[in-house]
Amino acid sequence: MSETVLNLNDTQQPRNETRESKGLWADAFNRIVRSKSSLIGLIIVAIFLLVALVAPVIAPYDPINDSDLVKRLEEPSGQHIMGRDSQGRDIFSRLIYGSRISVQIGVISVSFALILGVSLGAAAGYYGRWLDGIIMRAMDILLAFPSVLLAIAITAVLGPELRNAMIAIGVVYTPHFARIVRSTVLSVKAAEYIEAARSIGCSDLRIIMRHVLPNCIAPIIVQTTLSVGTAILDAAALSFLGLGAQPPTPEWGAMLSDGRSYIQKAPHVMIFPGMAIMFVVLGFNLLGDGLRDALDPRLKQ
Amino acid sequence: MKARKLVVAFLVIAALMVNIVGCGGGKETENKASEGKGNDKVFVFARSGDASGLDPINVTDGESLYVTQQIFDTLLDYEEDSTEVKPALATEWENSKDGKEWTLKLRKDVKFHDGTPFNAEAVKFNFDRWRDEKNPYHQGDFAYYTAMFSGFPGVIKDVVVVDEYTVKFVLTKPMAPFLANLAMATFGMSSPEAIKKYGEDYFKNPVGTGPFKFVKWEKDQQVVVEKNPEYWGQKAKVDRIVFRTIPDNSARLLELKAGTIDAMIGLNPDDIQTVKDDSNLQLMLRPSMNVGYLAMNMEKKPLDNVKVRQAINYAVNKQAIIDAFYGGLAKPAKNPLPPSLWGYNDNVKGYEYDPAKAKALLAEAGFPNGFKTTLWAMPVARDYMPQPKEIGQAIQQDLAKVGIDAKIVTYDWTTYIQKGEKGEHDLYLFGWTGDNGDPDNFLFYLLDKTNTVKGSAGNVSFYRDDRVSALLTEAQQESDQAKRAKLYEQAQVLVSEHAPWVPLVHSTPPIAAKKSITGWLPHATGTECFVSLDKAE
Repeated sequence: MSETVLNLNDTQQPRNETRESKGLWADAFNRIVRSKSSLIGLIIVAIFLLVALVAPVIAPYDPINDSDLVKRLEEPSGQHIMGRDSQGRDIFSRLIYGSRISVQIGVISVSFALILGVSLGAAAGYYGRWLDGIIMRAMDILLAFPSVLLAIAITAVLGPELRNAMIAIGVVYTPHFARIVRSTVLSVKAAEYIEAARSIGCSDLRIIMRHVLPNCIAPIIVQTTLSVGTAILDAAALSFLGLGAQPPTPEWGAMLSDGRSYIQKAPHVMIFPGMAIMFVVLGFNLLGDGLRDALDPRLKQ
Repeated sequence: MKARKLVVAFLVIAALMVNIVGCGGGKETENKASEGKGNDKVFVFARSGDASGLDPINVTDGESLYVTQQIFDTLLDYEEDSTEVKPALATEWENSKDGKEWTLKLRKDVKFHDGTPFNAEAVKFNFDRWRDEKNPYHQGDFAYYTAMFSGFPGVIKDVVVVDEYTVKFVLTKPMAPFLANLAMATFGMSSPEAIKKYGEDYFKNPVGTGPFKFVKWEKDQQVVVEKNPEYWGQKAKVDRIVFRTIPDNSARLLELKAGTIDAMIGLNPDDIQTVKDDSNLQLMLRPSMNVGYLAMNMEKKPLDNVKVRQAINYAVNKQAIIDAFYGGLAKPAKNPLPPSLWGYNDNVKGYEYDPAKAKALLAEAGFPNGFKTTLWAMPVARDYMPQPKEIGQAIQQDLAKVGIDAKIVTYDWTTYIQKGEKGEHDLYLFGWTGDNGDPDNFLFYLLDKTNTVKGSAGNVSFYRDDRVSALLTEAQQESDQAKRAKLYEQAQVLVSEHAPWVPLVHSTPPIAAKKSITGWLPHATGTECFVSLDKAE
């Protein structure tokens, strides 16, 4: 009970945004660095983003064109530290380029979900009534399906392509954002500073953008971080099933799927992509959890 | 449009859910069944795809024909180790002097599994259903009928019931491969009563005269058949056969090693050594009578240009593909016909691997910088192509080296075949396993212009050449095999020059089975009846 009260007090008080958010972010960063698990998450995510950024510089071979059928399934060696895959391509280089695709998937599909979810959630919460009913019931329907199943259905209809997999994942993640935003909007809608803004003639759009949405930045950031990790995982799952990236794209899930045929003869073909997926998802999850703790207003003091 | 997509999405979800529920239930009943009859000899056979239908006349894929061959008998059959014909439901046959009439004597006292007697009326009923588009039971595309007998009603003008056990076929012209055609598994005799009873649903309620009876079919899981104790010939040695679908090649091998299945086809070439090294398993090789090829849709630009097609032929490195993806168990192809068949033209030079020549030809054709296209790869392992996706990628690389940017496209197996028959593809990986040991079965079905009908095309290059068609038709009507061979040799020269395909390989498909399985003679046609197969305890 006391917790709820604390929460309400916190959100209902109008804030001096610039000063307070500076403190908020610095605080949050300190907390993340202090916690061991979230620090590991931050490091993994940072390495992952860096690798994706400089992929062409650090990859020793071309991920697609340096194939050599004669040397296929070669075991890891000095020249090919992760060995070669079934087409004789360097697995290490493919993983490095694959990180770019994973970043792309994570960013695009989650941005899609973010934009769509925030607008829908804000509209539902702010205008209420029948619009709220329609939007949130639609979101409930989407949430009722297991996420991967829904994504499979969407890609099955749109066709097996990486772009469609991203759309599917975006759609699947939209309701989570819509729910978070709607609940925050509902809690501040009746606050005095909103009424004040309205009385001096601010438009609805300005009120939502400048006065309502800043209140839900923290939970959105946490949700975004966690979503990027699971989006990468879901996209890998879709590609594994043949519904996402098509060969010869060096997507991790597709690489894992290709390597599956050689699990007995050349296990390195599937071990490395599997580990890459695991570490990145782990990184995003640790960072997301850390952020959640760091941005929790209850821990402010 | 959007609403429709949404509806489709919901249907897909519903289907997936039903599938999940359905498969749980299915396994339960199967377990109970095997508990109940502990002494049954059950032979479990696994392959990568499910049957597309169980009405033999309306299917063309090995997955379906493997099952229907157990349930149905044909009028004639092949010898166990060759494609010579021997009596089956017909015991004697006679050709008229002008070659246009065939009179067949039928076996007496044969009954379909539903009790309907087999006689001349039943034979006529089947043929009328296949060949007459106005027949009320003509439901389906009857692709094999139109392919082997040139359309509806095609070569068979009439089927006459002479007496209860004698039937006469009246042809419009002499047809050399007529008897060999009748022995094809697809021309199995169905019970007329069952066809009348089930109508459009006959494909999932098949009734024949064969050594096994249909029990049940759980889509994408398994097909079960059981021994027919009233079979007219030698009775089956196993009590039940379960045809399981296990899409993944390595998962299938793991099940074989674990002992949950007795035999499998579609072995990863990389696993051949694993099977040889396992003392509980045996490796059998099916005699090669197949071709794996890359069809080029001649209705699509720029594949309508012969120079482009020749360039693609020069660009593909067949030997590298064979070494990598067939474990060496294949020969590079230069003709559509496999070398084991009579009529094979060894003088055709074909196209050696020469990327420079390919580039030069592309430049001549007006594509010095190549072009963009799609390369379709099958989703399932085939005898003639055990790893289509990998082979597709290797070809994609070969094409990239000469500047052609090919995007790999794939669909589920049934859709893949349907879209191919409709001609929606550009480059299309496909293959063929001979049905009757006659060159006609390869060349006419795969390359004649009459087989380019959208929706049931066997000629998926949509190759229409009048000279080739004339040669193939003439060969069909000639009864002297030496003369026919000459005609086929000429046709192969033209086909090679026009290059509607990249002929890739002729493979020797491996079969892996437990050592306890005996009496299995892999037939060159790609499927065989399991009547003499036995399983030691």
